[in-house]
Amino acid sequence: MLARLRPTERVGVAVLGALALAWIIGALARRELFFDPVLFGLGSGAIIAALAIGLVVAFRASGVINFGHGAIATYVTYVYVSLVGDGQYPVPPIPNPLAPIEGIAGIEIVDFPTFISLGDPMGKAPALVIALATAAVLGLVAHFAIFRPLRYAPVLAKVIASVGIMLFLQAAVVLRFGARAKATEPIFPDDPVDILGARVGQDRLWVLGTVIVITAALWVLFRFTRFGIATRAGAENERFTTLLGFNADFQAGVSWVMASVLAGLVGILVAPITGVTPNFFTVLLISSLGAALIGRMSSFVIAAAAGLMLGVVDQELFRLELEWGWIPDIGIRRALPFVVIALAMVARGESLPSRGALTVERLPEAYVPRITRGRMVGYGILLAAALWLTVFAPFQYRAGMQNSMIGVILALSLVVVTGYVGQISLMQMALAGIGAFSVASFGTQAGMPLFISLPLAVASGVGFGLIAAIPSLRTRGASLAIVTLASGLAMGEIFFSRPGWFGLDRGVKTTDPPVLFGIEFGPNSDFIFGDGKIPTGGYGLFLLVVGALCCISVMRLRRSRLGEQMLAVRANERAAAAAGVNVAAIKLSAFAISSVFAALGGALIAFNVGTYGTDTFGIFASLTVLAFAYLGGISTIGGAITAGTLFSEGIGIVVTNEWFIDVGPYTAYVAGFFLIGTAVYNNEGIDGFQRRQFHQLGRWLSRGRGRSVAETSDV
Amino acid sequence: MSDTVLATSGLTVRFGGLLAVNDVSLECRRGRLTGLIGPNGAGKTTFIDAITGFLPNNSKGSVVLEGEEVFGRSPHVLSHDGLTRTWQTLELFDDITVRSNLDVASRRLTLGGALADYFRPRRREERVEEVLDLLNLGDIAERQPRELSQGQRKLVGVGRALVAESSKILLLDEPAAGLDKAETGWFGAQLRHLVDQGYTMLLVDHDMGLVLNVCDYIHMLVFGQLTASGTPDEMRNNPEVIAAYLGHSGAES
Repeated sequence: MLARLRPTERVGVAVLGALALAWIIGALARRELFFDPVLFGLGSGAIIAALAIGLVVAFRASGVINFGHGAIATYVTYVYVSLVGDGQYPVPPIPNPLAPIEGIAGIEIVDFPTFISLGDPMGKAPALVIALATAAVLGLVAHFAIFRPLRYAPVLAKVIASVGIMLFLQAAVVLRFGARAKATEPIFPDDPVDILGARVGQDRLWVLGTVIVITAALWVLFRFTRFGIATRAGAENERFTTLLGFNADFQAGVSWVMASVLAGLVGILVAPITGVTPNFFTVLLISSLGAALIGRMSSFVIAAAAGLMLGVVDQELFRLELEWGWIPDIGIRRALPFVVIALAMVARGESLPSRGALTVERLPEAYVPRITRGRMVGYGILLAAALWLTVFAPFQYRAGMQNSMIGVILALSLVVVTGYVGQISLMQMALAGIGAFSVASFGTQAGMPLFISLPLAVASGVGFGLIAAIPSLRTRGASLAIVTLASGLAMGEIFFSRPGWFGLDRGVKTTDPPVLFGIEFGPNSDFIFGDGKIPTGGYGLFLLVVGALCCISVMRLRRSRLGEQMLAVRANERAAAAAGVNVAAIKLSAFAISSVFAALGGALIAFNVGTYGTDTFGIFASLTVLAFAYLGGISTIGGAITAGTLFSEGIGIVVTNEWFIDVGPYTAYVAGFFLIGTAVYNNEGIDGFQRRQFHQLGRWLSRGRGRSVAETSDV
Repeated sequence: MSDTVLATSGLTVRFGGLLAVNDVSLECRRGRLTGLIGPNGAGKTTFIDAITGFLPNNSKGSVVLEGEEVFGRSPHVLSHDGLTRTWQTLELFDDITVRSNLDVASRRLTLGGALADYFRPRRREERVEEVLDLLNLGDIAERQPRELSQGQRKLVGVGRALVAESSKILLLDEPAAGLDKAETGWFGAQLRHLVDQGYTMLLVDHDMGLVLNVCDYIHMLVFGQLTASGTPDEMRNNPEVIAAYLGHSGAES
């Protein structure tokens, strides 16, 4: 039977076998072969499986791996919960165009409604219909407004857009419902039943049954109907589908609606069992992505089976953790998705893309300005302004500058790996976390001086960055994004969430200030200038110097031979290899350099005011950093600086708060929205947009003076 | 022996059940322009992909470069060994200038070299300037490939393959695709000019006119198999060639 499978399917089946083996070994290790872990595991496995087949549906329709899939499930579930609980339909936050003026003029105009009341708490059936209709609309919007315009775009833009969907919907949920868990009435009967000596809630079995039925239905639909065959063809060749007499666009739209409704349905069915929190499904989505990849993003049956197996093995590891005291310390259970994904990717990946894998649209330009006298004056003025804001301005501006400069360094880490080499990394904040916790361990706990502890922290970050980068040598595009997301999750779970490692006290930590030449540069240290309030200017000054050095070194990198080779790899891996570029070495060096900046940024967060912990360096933080970096401009230094200004609690936000309105709670929401817009309409980010405006202005001015300016290309 | 730069023997490429290149053995001699012709789908590009290491899992056979067996090495190593190529679809590095395109290919970047260059950038590689001059690309060296005409882009592609210090033989994959008749003629003359200066090349094309006009020796590939070989004059009268191209010649572009 195995012989009849395609080679790539064999890999999937092999991974499934390995998972099954893991379960059996686990059961043997515990010397009991009862089926209760299986039954419990199948419960959570069913959710993973259901999300995985949704991912496969969307991928088959449009070739997009939708990182927002879990967020769609979450959003729809909250809509349902709100309808059943309060009879209220949540309205996504809409910006009030007059808000900036309201603040200045001191008037207040009526706000937009946050909920539309539909009467009393609703019955489950009508609530389900309305919620799933919402899901359908989300699917349509995702296809027609976002992914259809991105059909020929580079994978990076598609990944960014789907990350934007995730941030946007998740932030919408937090804004409307808060971050706490919600419970709701059961849908399925939940009395426990006894099966093979194990006692399990019936509702889990119902969910499991539903998932199996849906998987079978999708398999039949895509295998035997004209619709399914045409959709499969459409993902590969739109014209072919059109020749078959189908509207490819319509097909993809229908598939998006199916994927989205499926996500919503899963959410609603499991909400009564598990409760929902705003990021519940997105965290599960990482396992689902692993399952979908095992199924090559094309087989519903293998993807669903893999999802179920992941649930079972997870449950088995959970039991083992209870049994063996040492296991919790290494958090191996949470690393499971990463291991599975890495194995699946390495097994099916190729070290160079195959012939015909083409990107049609161009990537954002990796522009570096030529240093002219005029520009030097400009930079000088900018630096002086930054210096004033950092050292002499009131404390809130100083704090904003500090956060922004850390943001610039973190964004630079993405400029190198994603902007220059085109490798999407969703683990940057995990690497930052390694830097932060290391500098605290080496410096504060072991008492090493800064010039030893900081390089050691950076080196640790680079070490982990390189380990996580190894699968990247055989993956690219969205698959790489998934691998890095999973490694980020694994690093977070293994190192930051467990007491013991890095001497964490309930996941939060503080660090001693940096000392250089016998002078303390911490945010709490005394500093000769400024008003003496915390944070003092010393730390800002320290950051300004470090940040400027980082910008200069990336600029030099861009101009160096290594930088040229990086851009060659980004443009075309095959051609780069044929031109003698060692593609693997270039990618690894990019990940290493990127890790330097990420770990450095993390260490600088550690020195900053306040405590930091697991969430500071979690996967959502990584996604947010990528969002800001892309928004600013992923492939330029100016973009990184812009990203820093926009950064959470950065100077841009402080200025907006002080002068206009408090945007704090809306940051993620607005960022998600503009991220989607940037991915679809302007992949060069704010920096590229500004640059073009300036170029046009310059051209217009010089024309006015009757002088023609030669078309210059600075790159 | 010393006259042979590149020799393949028994080179075979298989994609699942499809035999794309079947037991091909041919030689390219120093200072000669060897042609490989064949109708669409004959396996010409696949042959080049296999020689240059892009099909490690699908190919077998032997590739000898100046007496050394190089089959099985990865593409970038082969490039350093002296096997450089162009692409049918050009595949230039669109984000960097023409000069940078050549810079990337000009020599091997070692860790030490990369560091030295980072801390003390030395621009203007001599070899790069030489090739820019040779191909008359000097005026457009600071432009990006996408701003150039198709003919110029083709030349940049050739330049990128030519510039490697180590280059021993140039494999040109359908360099005339997308050029009109006049451009093709001009381009062929450029190639002939390079060969007369001592470069060794393998020209893969389905344009009979171009290949017959500029090549010294020609092989023909049909359905993955080498069916005829000879000088241009011999090939012109070869019944196999006439049979393979009858009805095709009009459709070539």
